[in-house]
Amino acid sequence: MQITEEMSMNILEELNGNIGSIALKLRDFIRDQVTSFKKKGVVIGVSGGIDSAVVLTLCVQELGKENVHGLLLPEEESAPSSKILGAVICESLGVSYEEVPISPILRSLNIYDKKERIIKRACPEYDARIHKTSLVLPDFLNQGLLNVPYIRLIKNGETVGKYRLKATDYLELIGLQGVKQRSRMLVQYMYAETMNYAVCGTTNKTELVLGQFVKYGDGGVDLEPLADCYKTQVYALGKYLDVNEEIMRRPPSADTWSHYTTDEEFYWRMPIQIMDQLLYAQEHRLPLQVIEKSTGLSSETIEKTQRHINRIRDTTEYVRATPSVCYINR
Amino acid sequence: MEQIRNDIVDYLKANSFMDNNSSLNDNDSLTQKGIIDSIGLLELMDYICEKYSIEIPEDLLTPENFDSLQGITNMITKLAK
Repeated sequence: MQITEEMSMNILEELNGNIGSIALKLRDFIRDQVTSFKKKGVVIGVSGGIDSAVVLTLCVQELGKENVHGLLLPEEESAPSSKILGAVICESLGVSYEEVPISPILRSLNIYDKKERIIKRACPEYDARIHKTSLVLPDFLNQGLLNVPYIRLIKNGETVGKYRLKATDYLELIGLQGVKQRSRMLVQYMYAETMNYAVCGTTNKTELVLGQFVKYGDGGVDLEPLADCYKTQVYALGKYLDVNEEIMRRPPSADTWSHYTTDEEFYWRMPIQIMDQLLYAQEHRLPLQVIEKSTGLSSETIEKTQRHINRIRDTTEYVRATPSVCYINR
Repeated sequence: MEQIRNDIVDYLKANSFMDNNSSLNDNDSLTQKGIIDSIGLLELMDYICEKYSIEIPEDLLTPENFDSLQGITNMITKLAK
């Protein structure tokens, strides 16, 4: 790119460009991967969110609806809208789908009881009969606070308490919560192997770079068509593919807490358009002036936020790593 | 203040990825030097709260207060008064 061209670029426009050719490229990728694995189709966990809706649509367009199987995998704390919207997208595309609740797996491991005990320990006023809960991090962009997790208690839609988690409680909660995505992974493989299908993942590039997925959970799949598309690009793909409006408008969430907790509240800590512009700028080594002009942020905030992103990238290296091998003949 | 600084160094030597033989300057970044990560930071906060019987208000949970020996020592001194 020429320097003058670079200086006048708008990052969001770049992210929203060439969507038609990206969609075609993703379809080719899906076809090539499934063929190379000698599989007959794909199984997809359908969450009612934008990522799985886009992947499902691309797979149906490329492989045909008869070669795609959707799985709705709700549990006790899932938002009711998740499986409703999941069913809506499967039906609109004419793909076969099943609902397989994972709550029995979670109950057999006492996940809910253990989670309750941690929340009660961290938040003395917690009463499961009246409070919903969520795990949140403080806003980064405006306050610049550290990655310190809090449990929030919600009563009748209002936050009534917020408690900092101790490291031991946080680690235990993350381990328990990860069982949800890992249970979904094993159900997906049970179906995929029965049908001689591959498991198609839905992780996007924003999530990949930030380590915003569970290793061997939603990260445990055979192909990841969206892993080089930032979330903003996934929205553009959703619009291009005419994905259901309600799914497009729904705030993204891992949907693992009784109170619907958005990815902005726990992962990004800033609006996704800002996060994606900063990630894109880092990837393409864009000059500070271009980022300032595109995001409207001050140079000081940009530098501070990029250091924050670098820290996340470094600390999540383990999540992205494949198992290390000791090669004995090298 | 010197005692607080020494307590933190001892804690980091025993509980972080800090090399026992390496030295740490007061303004070195603990994260950039790979001494603590996000979990290590939470563990350090728990240690500070327990050791000095203090609660750290949310608005003090900033990189400036936690990313260097100087920042940590200043913050504890202020809160323990």
